[in-house]
Amino acid sequence: MRAIENGAAETTSWFDPFTRWMLIIMFATLAAIFVSAKFMDMHSMLGGGTDDTVNAMASQAAHVKSHPFVDLPGDAQVGAFSIANFFAGMIVGHNWKKLFEREKG
Amino acid sequence: MHIEDGILPPRAWGFWYGVTILFIIPGIREIKRRVRENLAYKPFLSMTGVAVFVISAMHLPVPVTGSCSHPCGTPLAAIIVGPFATAVISSIVLFFQAIFLGHGGITTIGANDFSMGIVGGISGYLCWKLLRRFDSPLWLAGGIAGFVGDVMTYLTSAFELALSLHGHIPLVRQWMIFFAGYGPTQLPLAIAEAVFTAAVLQVMYNRRPDLLPGITGKRSGKIEKIQMKGA
Repeated sequence: MRAIENGAAETTSWFDPFTRWMLIIMFATLAAIFVSAKFMDMHSMLGGGTDDTVNAMASQAAHVKSHPFVDLPGDAQVGAFSIANFFAGMIVGHNWKKLFEREKG
Repeated sequence: MHIEDGILPPRAWGFWYGVTILFIIPGIREIKRRVRENLAYKPFLSMTGVAVFVISAMHLPVPVTGSCSHPCGTPLAAIIVGPFATAVISSIVLFFQAIFLGHGGITTIGANDFSMGIVGGISGYLCWKLLRRFDSPLWLAGGIAGFVGDVMTYLTSAFELALSLHGHIPLVRQWMIFFAGYGPTQLPLAIAEAVFTAAVLQVMYNRRPDLLPGITGKRSGKIEKIQMKGA
């Protein structure tokens, strides 16, 4: 960001180093997830969570039916995770900036 | 490690609630004390709490085993905000995950907090402290703490289930049966957690070592030395 005399910004860069690194890490992680998911799909693997697997094993051992406190059907789970992670990211970013942002100059 | 409602009998989940409270009380004291000592502690605590919420709900696929699991984030939290404070933030995280995300249960918050927040956090913290005492590089100590804390979390979860449900099967055998459900998927994720923990600690230290009193083994103990932006 280049500053002019009255303190207002004249130009803003598209990708500052922090954003660039965050995008690189994000896309690398997403690519790894994509490749893993594709592999699992090709080999007819279910890709379920180990928590669910072990909860099912434990339910069988105890002869009881287990259940999460709330069950989110279909896309409601995607929605809940998106909302939670959006605001979590805002809070982490806000505090990260407060604590770790480097002073200009 | 998110054990659901209905699996553990009331005596078992009541017991784990009781054990967890024994760690939460000193955790609240630790938070109060460190807030007075370090002006940066409150933002650290909120940032770390939210990070644990996200990390422990982040299901990643492991193609070798064909299933997904999540890291914990509590070893990192224990190093940054303290092991007992991690028990407190972890219980809050597990409560919100249970009521909003369908992860875990309400009756099992004690058991889940004991595995993730207490054993995961404290084992990682002890590894960190031990390795730093022998002048291990920060990234190595952080990485091993992340790995050990992650594996210990799942070993503890499997133990909690086995302790209540082993019936006529020997306890250790049932414990290993439950851990076999977690282990193959969790080991690659424990390595990922090691890399993540090491990287975050190294970045934090490179940027503001003064904000992490005690993390390098040199505690300043002076509030005026810990300056925050805008403070």
